[in-house]
Amino acid sequence: MVFLLSKAPTQARKPIVWILTFVSGGVFVLFKYWPQPINFDKAKNLPNGPIESVGSLLNDLTSVFGTISQVLTAFMLGLGIFSILRIHGTRIAKQQKDWFFSVVLLVTMFSMVVFGYWDFHIRAANRTIDYDNAANWGFVNMGRDFLFEGLLQQMDAAMFSIIAFFILSAAYRAFRARSVEATIMLGTALLVIISLMGAVASGWDSAVDRIATGSNHDLLVNLKISEIANWITKTLQTPAITGIKFGIGLGTLSMALRIWLGLERGGK
Amino acid sequence: MNHEAYETFSKAAGVFVTVGLFSVLYKENKFYRFCEHLFLGLAAGWALVAIWTETLASTWYDKMMGTVDEAGKGTSPAMWLYAILLPVGFMSYMVFNKKHNWMSRIPLGIILGIWSGQQIQSYFDTYGPQVRAGMKPIFPSTGQLIVPTSGMDPAVIGGNVFISQAISNFLFMFTLVSVLSYFLFSFDVKSKAILKMNTIGRYLLMIGFGAIFGTTVMMRFTLVIDRMYFIWIEFFQHTLLRR
Amino acid sequence: MKTKGIPKYIVYLLLVICASIPLFFTIPVPGKPFDSSADTFKTLMALQPGDTVLLASDWTGSTRGESKAQMISVMRLLMRKQVKFALWSTADPQSPRCAQDTISEVNEMIKKEGGKPYVRWDDWVQCGFYPSSDVAINNVATDVRKAFGGKRDTDTAGKLRPVFESPVLEKIQKIEDFKLVIDMTASKTSDYHVQFISGKKVPLLFSVTGVMVPETNVYYNSGQIVGYLGGLKGVFDMEKMMEYGLNVPDKDGKIQVASEKVPDKIEGFPGKDNIGNGTKYYPTLHSALLLMIVLVVIGNVEMFKANKAAKKS
Repeated sequence: MVFLLSKAPTQARKPIVWILTFVSGGVFVLFKYWPQPINFDKAKNLPNGPIESVGSLLNDLTSVFGTISQVLTAFMLGLGIFSILRIHGTRIAKQQKDWFFSVVLLVTMFSMVVFGYWDFHIRAANRTIDYDNAANWGFVNMGRDFLFEGLLQQMDAAMFSIIAFFILSAAYRAFRARSVEATIMLGTALLVIISLMGAVASGWDSAVDRIATGSNHDLLVNLKISEIANWITKTLQTPAITGIKFGIGLGTLSMALRIWLGLERGGK
Repeated sequence: MNHEAYETFSKAAGVFVTVGLFSVLYKENKFYRFCEHLFLGLAAGWALVAIWTETLASTWYDKMMGTVDEAGKGTSPAMWLYAILLPVGFMSYMVFNKKHNWMSRIPLGIILGIWSGQQIQSYFDTYGPQVRAGMKPIFPSTGQLIVPTSGMDPAVIGGNVFISQAISNFLFMFTLVSVLSYFLFSFDVKSKAILKMNTIGRYLLMIGFGAIFGTTVMMRFTLVIDRMYFIWIEFFQHTLLRR
Repeated sequence: MKTKGIPKYIVYLLLVICASIPLFFTIPVPGKPFDSSADTFKTLMALQPGDTVLLASDWTGSTRGESKAQMISVMRLLMRKQVKFALWSTADPQSPRCAQDTISEVNEMIKKEGGKPYVRWDDWVQCGFYPSSDVAINNVATDVRKAFGGKRDTDTAGKLRPVFESPVLEKIQKIEDFKLVIDMTASKTSDYHVQFISGKKVPLLFSVTGVMVPETNVYYNSGQIVGYLGGLKGVFDMEKMMEYGLNVPDKDGKIQVASEKVPDKIEGFPGKDNIGNGTKYYPTLHSALLLMIVLVVIGNVEMFKANKAAKKS
């Protein structure tokens, strides 16, 4: 197949890619708008008539294309790994600057692959043993857990938490009421932050409860921070985000149509 | 190594690499670079493990080869056509080949085609209910300003639109429309009404962004707290001091 | 170039201090649950023993501060109520392992409190990892038996068998046969769940990170999901409702956790260990957020002072 494609003339390349794109997307679009089989022959569990048969076929095809998508995406994940190997392999081979760190990367990657598959193999070969119980672990299981839970998960958590320091420092230096927009954003952010502090919100609400007595009770209870935050969320924030999502949705739909119909520029 | 010793060793290593990554807050340094590459190596390694063990083995290989039970009896038939996915999948690696790199667009085209089809398929299911939820009554059905907290039948409260509710509903719809207007009329418009609407839309967007900022701060701070809990409580207090 | 004001190292140090010291103390914090948390609790407590839920676990170590705590609280509830679940993951290859490790941890907690530990195959099954989230979720919504058709898991005798032969999934023919679909996520998989599953006749519940709260509110407002746990506040709410119940008066007649959105009286699990990282981290979150407010106020005061000085000169 690869050989045949390699012989394809230049002007045929774009149509080949587009036809595959159109067919794979078309299955999902057609399935959505085709009448769904509702009258299956209960005895044979088969659809009745040609319309239902096509609907049933489209149902099967979405599942097949689903599998195709999973497999191809998995291969593409491998492409990322392949790129890492290329870049760091070259850096080591040419002993470029900081090549030692590339060695660290490749060694740990290799170790994880070895321990990961070894652990998988042990679990698959001894299915009667409960490896979810750490008491049953041997050296390999511990090695896999050390690399995954002991190092990878802890570093993943640390890496993502570092941003908090930068956000705090940036907020101190730049989160200022310089314009109307900035002031609105600052005010809403502070109100949301306060509403997330249960102790502060509770104290505020209790104070409002104490003063909200008599005929003005129904009016004054609306001054509770939980009520104010809830009102802002429901009345202003939710429609604003809905508007943003609509905008993104429209953009996504137009992009999807362009890709599906082959109107996107580029690609020879 | 017994399990307790392993736990201590594993947690100590976790603290070591956490501190290593945090050291970048001082400045870029070799300790950080070491931990950064360790992290990337492990993440890439695990992806290679999971691609096969969790996905390709069952989703592709088993379907292609068929499966048998312990007694050797077939449980699912072999579907050899799935073998085609091997060369198609490897076509994405052609991106590094100068002559045939166009072939890498074939698997990408299939994936993008499926994505496009699904977006067209699901657009109205996604946004339809949101549009319906945005259609709220903006005219009051009673002269009463505020929803009473007591002294009225909940069924009567639920069946009426109070003036305060009508105002809130109007603000909801106005916010939605003005934010949409800001998005849709982002090109050069002459109408003063639309320009005014866009300005208000921009202001209202800031409320949304302010809320996002507030909850983002909560999230990021929680992650720092989790790291501090791991270092001080899980490692020092529980593991080292055994308290 | 040197910047004026508090040096950044001091700001960082202050955050470390504020995010550490309160952790050493047990500080009770009052707080009203968010409507979305109350609805989540109500939906989960309405499940009956033997019901099956479809649980997507799409988080990894990067958000474990929030996501793991959320998963532990939901798992504790499901296991105490003897609700079966089919676990699956999309998007990140680390997700399935993170979920399984968390299930093992919760199993140990349940054992400690004298409950019945969950047995893989009988009480839960692993339905695998799918790297292409949107397609996987669409396939599950369209035909769950085909989507998980190739998946096998180990039964209690140690044999590898198709997941649909397990007591968890044997009665499941379509997505609507699940009593509930839950997505515990830190990524776009919540959007895909809304895209493909919210239109089906099955309740959908989310457990999301703090940053995803505003957009998840849109789905909650439109009724596309029945509830959600949002960030650390969501976990805190959940743990509190599990401890005190919802709208349940204590022996002094005082209601510890009240909600106007969900007026039903729902008992929690008094006497059990309901405290988790939500309750442990929440007081510390206060001090960190307070630091943020103080620094933003100082920054603005500095700006106004500088502006005033500039005008004078």
